[in-house]
Amino acid sequence: MIRAAVILLLILAGAAALALRGAPSGPTPDFRYVNSSDIHTLDPARMSWNQDLRLALNLWEGLLTTDPRTLLPTDGVAMFPPEVSDDGLIWTFHLRPDAHWSDGSRVTAADFLRGWRRCIEPGTAADYAFFLTDTVSGASEYASWRSEAVAVLTALARRAQGWPLNPEQNSLLARSPIAQPVRDALSERGRSFAPHHPQEGSPSDTGIQSDFNRFDLPWSSLHETVLRRHTLEMEERFRFVGLQAPDPHTFIVRLHRPVAYFADLVAFPTLSPIHESIERLREHTRFDHSTAVPSSLEHADATTVPLTPEGLVTYDPQWTKPDYHAHGYPGLVTNGPYRLTAWAFKRSVRIEVNPFHRDATRIACRVIEAVVIEDPNAALLAYEAGDVDFIPSLETPYDHVLFQWASTGTRPDFHVCALSGVYFFNFNCRDSVIDGRKNPFVDARVRRAFCLATDREALVRDVLQRGDRPAGSFVPRDTIPGYIPPAGLSYDVTEARRLLAEAGYPDGTALPVIELLFNTGGSGVGHATLCQAVARMWERNLGAQVELVGKESKTFAHDKAARRFMIARANWYADYNDPTTFLDVLTTGNGNNDSGYSGEAYDELMHLAAVERDPARRFQLLRQAETIVVEVDCPVLPLFHYTGLTAIRPGVEGIVPNARLMFPFKGVRVRR
Amino acid sequence: MIRFLVRRVVLGGITLLAVFTLTFLMVVSVPGNPLQTGERRLAPEVEQALRARYDLDDNARYFVQLLKGALRFDFGPTFQYPDWTCNQILMQSLPVSVMLGLSSIVLAVAVGVPLGVAGALRRHGAVATVGVAASVIGACVPSFVVGTCLILALAVRLKLAPVGGWGTWAHVPLPAMTLALPFIAYITRLTHVSMTDALSRDFIRTALARGVPRRRVVWDHAFPAALGPVLSYLGPATAQAMTGSFVVEKVFNIPGMGQHFVNAALNRDPALLIATVMVFSCLVILFNIGVDVAHAWLDPRLRERMT
Repeated sequence: MIRAAVILLLILAGAAALALRGAPSGPTPDFRYVNSSDIHTLDPARMSWNQDLRLALNLWEGLLTTDPRTLLPTDGVAMFPPEVSDDGLIWTFHLRPDAHWSDGSRVTAADFLRGWRRCIEPGTAADYAFFLTDTVSGASEYASWRSEAVAVLTALARRAQGWPLNPEQNSLLARSPIAQPVRDALSERGRSFAPHHPQEGSPSDTGIQSDFNRFDLPWSSLHETVLRRHTLEMEERFRFVGLQAPDPHTFIVRLHRPVAYFADLVAFPTLSPIHESIERLREHTRFDHSTAVPSSLEHADATTVPLTPEGLVTYDPQWTKPDYHAHGYPGLVTNGPYRLTAWAFKRSVRIEVNPFHRDATRIACRVIEAVVIEDPNAALLAYEAGDVDFIPSLETPYDHVLFQWASTGTRPDFHVCALSGVYFFNFNCRDSVIDGRKNPFVDARVRRAFCLATDREALVRDVLQRGDRPAGSFVPRDTIPGYIPPAGLSYDVTEARRLLAEAGYPDGTALPVIELLFNTGGSGVGHATLCQAVARMWERNLGAQVELVGKESKTFAHDKAARRFMIARANWYADYNDPTTFLDVLTTGNGNNDSGYSGEAYDELMHLAAVERDPARRFQLLRQAETIVVEVDCPVLPLFHYTGLTAIRPGVEGIVPNARLMFPFKGVRVRR
Repeated sequence: MIRFLVRRVVLGGITLLAVFTLTFLMVVSVPGNPLQTGERRLAPEVEQALRARYDLDDNARYFVQLLKGALRFDFGPTFQYPDWTCNQILMQSLPVSVMLGLSSIVLAVAVGVPLGVAGALRRHGAVATVGVAASVIGACVPSFVVGTCLILALAVRLKLAPVGGWGTWAHVPLPAMTLALPFIAYITRLTHVSMTDALSRDFIRTALARGVPRRRVVWDHAFPAALGPVLSYLGPATAQAMTGSFVVEKVFNIPGMGQHFVNAALNRDPALLIATVMVFSCLVILFNIGVDVAHAWLDPRLRERMT
């Protein structure tokens, strides 16, 4: 018995030693704040979560940066405003001579070229690659050519390992110019693939008769040939992309159309520079014994190819760690006011002043720690106990009480701020039948009737009770300087009933059961309560019968993407300071246009605005476009514009709550 | 004994393979895109490149790659947190869960067994009443309530312990207590019942009739006999305490494994989900084997049967 107890205690002590180590040590942080979940990635090109971007603002410095007070672009590594050609297409950035990396080396234009190029490489899988592919001349063409190459090389790499090709891969090998060596090899052997015969009625490319699986080809050497050829061609092709670094201090961007908000994009962390040391961790393919084995650059020589067997440009994902030193890598090197010194997964991130930054001596908070506290209750308790100084976004089930305290002045340390985000419903405008049920929302009159029958004032006042602003427009009011969104439809039950009758559903009769799809969860009262409240309004005002369908978030996203809904809950936050960050979503064919809406007049106005150079006229065009979607066609029903709540401990100065919750910390001062 | 162990380990291996396959089938068949992390949808080309990179483009191939990795204890990268591998995440969180689980089980045994024995010895005494009350409360009140109350009382008001987090000894007691409470409840009841049962057995009566002092009868004869069921329970309970601490981890903000398991399932992160499930399964199998060995140690009859 005693022996058992001793053994148990020894195990316990061992586990304790293991479990309690790894907590970051070092100087006490000057400032601690809460991240509501861990950093997803510290690779600026891949970031899309707020907490990641917030950290990136402090670790990296782009050519331009965003002023937290005005949210307008300002000086970064280059001075604002940059030199722009008369036609608005050529942007020349002059890098300041005193911009340094955290290892002391100078920030050069080549570092920006490396960072920006990574964003459009398919191997990076950057969420915000469209910042460049939508604007920079040749970027989109390059990216799609690379994607096709990746598909061909993936097929060849898998086939070389003995996996059969699927029909799409077969058809790709039959038609892609990149796969020419495969077809050449086939003809050399006196075989030819049957060409595509559309006249025979094959509806798609999969109708190609040739099944490459049947041919006994030297797949490994074909893979190698295509990969090597592609590596050389990549550099040739990249010359046609409008990004240039003619000398270390000049970075030139050529756009394919004038982009009014391009400076805002340049200030976004996605377009940060990347230090050259990352190249030491680039993944290579070595061709050994006729099988492709990816290996790292340490063994890179004339026989290796700087791409993965699938043709991707990738790096050892550990490159974002401060203490990773494989192949002589110095650990993450950044050029912002801070550098990363520790990152313990799901525990904390620690940053310290970058001693080589030009503002290093003026920065008051030398060491900052971001602690991960997922439970909002636990975060608030930690704040109340004085363990943390700042919660960027308070989202608790009792939000309304905190909002009340903040607005009545009971808690002057809680700050309310209008956010650039909209909570809305998508109507399915495309599919007339969903899961065997008739979808009435293909008729714009029905959509408009449902919008008119929704009392957003009451929803915000009685249900949410947390200071959110009832939304008439899709673009949040007062968050984009100079843009005044349209008023939208107001609450008018009589008009709603009239429209519904006109569409053939008098008093809601003949309307099928309306399905309202939402994801379970959500902060404050939660999505379910909110959807119930809206459903009740429609039942009362229109005589509609509404069925609430709550699903877990991934299943919800799946159904939404497949447009298996009549009405689906959604929200959208601004990525940059321009109405198009919202309005582009509703254009025909946009990947995030879940409603399936396609409005000819709307698309036309959006197109006109995209090429308009006069800012006032451009906003006018955008306003006209928005008027169509919120007052006439109504593919979406905006419910409210978000209001944020932040907690800043008294004594902390220099944090400005703003519409995008972006907080650079270099100006923060803490008095204890 | 050796043969018994070998058989159990082989059976355990087969179980693990079955668990692996089932988990894989479930995670790839439920709807939901593991690669999409935010509200924004991935561009088709980007998604295709990611699928190629992570072998997601072919389920059979992905299964083989994952299984090969699992046999080498290398579960590969995660999708939600691309900067970390599954192994790094396990290495950071498993010791935390083991520590938390073991401390709560030690605490549960240290409190539950004496309470149960005392209750059985004096069925209507004060200790028995406390024991019954504690077990009812422990079994009924959910741990997020207990945890929050403990934080408010001991951490926020009295400032005896930190509010949450992990890293020093001071962080351990509150979550361990919260996690231990339901186990205390169960162990108290179990000890109480089996002790009462043991005390009414014939051999106890015989021993008492032969004049063996009551103290010796209770501790040398009744108590070891009563420990059997508690020991059987300790195997699965320890595994459960180490793996099922999700709620306690949330409330106390502890970077353990429970949250990775739940989040990986919610995020459809196949590699991380399989990694956590495999670790949990290994723990359950290990502790069950451990309990069998301990049984054999305590009960000579079983030892003979095993050989």
